[in-house]
Amino acid sequence: MLKQEINDLLTQTGPGTPMGGLFRQYWIPALLADELPEAGSPPVRVKLLSERLIAFRDDDGQYGLIDEFCAHRGVSLWFGKNEGNGLRCAYHGWKYDVTGQCIEVPSEPEEHSFCQKVKLTGYPLVKVGDILWTHMGDPNNRPALPEWEFARVPSEQTFSSKRWQESNWMQALEGGIDSSHVSWLHSGGLKSDPLFKGAKGNQYNMADMKPFFEVVDAEGGLFIGARRNAEEGHYYWRITPWVMPSFTMVPPRGDHPMHGHFWVPIDDENCWVFTFDYHPVRALSEVEVQAMKDGFGVHNEYVPGTFRPLQNKDNDYLMDREAQKRGDSFSGIKGIAMQDASLQESMGPIVDRTKERLVSTDAGIIQARRKLRKAVEALRDQGETPPGVDPAHHHVRSAAVVLPKDEAFIESSREALAVATGVRQTSV
Amino acid sequence: MTAVEYYRPTLLSSCALAATAAEARYRIDGPMMSTRASRVIALDEQAAGIVQRVSELPWSPGAHFLTYESPESVAGLGDSDLDAPDLDAPGVDASGVDATLRAVGGSQSLLSDELAEADVAVMVATADSGAQGASIIGNACFMRGIMTAGLVIAEGGAADEAVSALRPHAAVLVVTRDEGDVPEMLTALRA
Repeated sequence: MLKQEINDLLTQTGPGTPMGGLFRQYWIPALLADELPEAGSPPVRVKLLSERLIAFRDDDGQYGLIDEFCAHRGVSLWFGKNEGNGLRCAYHGWKYDVTGQCIEVPSEPEEHSFCQKVKLTGYPLVKVGDILWTHMGDPNNRPALPEWEFARVPSEQTFSSKRWQESNWMQALEGGIDSSHVSWLHSGGLKSDPLFKGAKGNQYNMADMKPFFEVVDAEGGLFIGARRNAEEGHYYWRITPWVMPSFTMVPPRGDHPMHGHFWVPIDDENCWVFTFDYHPVRALSEVEVQAMKDGFGVHNEYVPGTFRPLQNKDNDYLMDREAQKRGDSFSGIKGIAMQDASLQESMGPIVDRTKERLVSTDAGIIQARRKLRKAVEALRDQGETPPGVDPAHHHVRSAAVVLPKDEAFIESSREALAVATGVRQTSV
Repeated sequence: MTAVEYYRPTLLSSCALAATAAEARYRIDGPMMSTRASRVIALDEQAAGIVQRVSELPWSPGAHFLTYESPESVAGLGDSDLDAPDLDAPGVDASGVDATLRAVGGSQSLLSDELAEADVAVMVATADSGAQGASIIGNACFMRGIMTAGLVIAEGGAADEAVSALRPHAAVLVVTRDEGDVPEMLTALRA
């Protein structure tokens, strides 16, 4: 249960809001690199943190992310022409470079300096891995670039996708932290999904439907350990890292690629779910990549030509009651991603947390909310840099391990939870 | 994608499109459960200080703030075994486990009495000395089907034994450096 004002604080990320201020401390995913594949690519409309922006690449290949609307008459620059060193408004020809600086106002004499005084808001757009990242905060306080392992391994070892989710970012994130739903909602996928099946750990999952949880502070956020019974005297631990504000990783299964998410606010009622799969030491196979493109694992299928999931609220997520009855999936919805999204969207665009009835196994969610709130207040009141900004906090992995019952997962798994270049993930 | 025939229901409220803020106005706004009867139990003296401070915040009358003091008789165990009771040992009747608790106001009560009406027990530890209480209280809650949570407030491995003792019995364990997490957890659980 949260007070309304705390719910508002956590869920509102527009300009001038406390949580919006927190998000603007970080490099956040803005687009897939494939959306702007080459110099002179057509511009792309992007809304992030309740700001409408346009992304483009000039003829030199430089990336730009600027205010969507022309300073002259408020026309969308999406209609503009990507031309040489900038984007030219289709209405009267005003032209802007990748920083948002106006570089031409055709109606004004060339010798006038009028255009130098016109500048749209612009943010940096930088390619790291398959993702274009932006920092929407104070340029004088710009952190070092992100160092997430999935974005740093060679390109043949990683695959990213994104989908639109019609809910506030926070309830999507909470799904990534909440390990207790996995045994129920996602139970069907462990048997059949090509990116999960065959791992020994799946047997522990299916044999023990009542996991216990441990939540431990980490420099960048939290580690959430879910333990189930394994062989005599041992527990099977699945350990999920959360790095502030919105990075989570799913514990691995066997030698399948590792995966995780970024939950990025579009506005207060929508978010982007950036999803990645990677393997620390080997290339993804063609079969694995095809499975990801086909919507298996934590990816999804799309309405063609869009980032909207094929299963969406317009078609009741293609609910299949027969599949539910057969036990192919617990909810009748196909695929891990849409099983989560369908339920999270059903909560409403911003769930009313004053009415929820949490139980002790929701401790990961409770702790994450508390840490976000503390970080927001420390930033607002003392200007304190929040956890997760420092790239050192990005060097985390999820892990799945079997440990003797008296061992603390956090002590026994420190190496497994840290990125080590060229070292295979710790998995069962 | 398996083709599934889909017929849109007649009314907006009969399909997933009803997940709008406007439709949320029609959600039933009635009480779904009564107030929880919570037992917040400190397992060592430093934790008792934390529980004392937390108790000064406004809570429902069903919340009791207590400190574990000592074990009471356990069928099958001698007095000398009570310092470190092995509740899994042969011949031990773990259902007979009991302990003396001290309320914030100083009065004493038995664990068994406190748990009779409880529906959640939150144990708070800061040191290894909390291991004995963790074992006894955790087991007593487990036997009665009472929801448990353990909050260990410690730097590094200062409370490893308490964590190990709590692990088998607490449905969730939170290991943190911030005592402010205690009231946050209690508020979230509607203590």
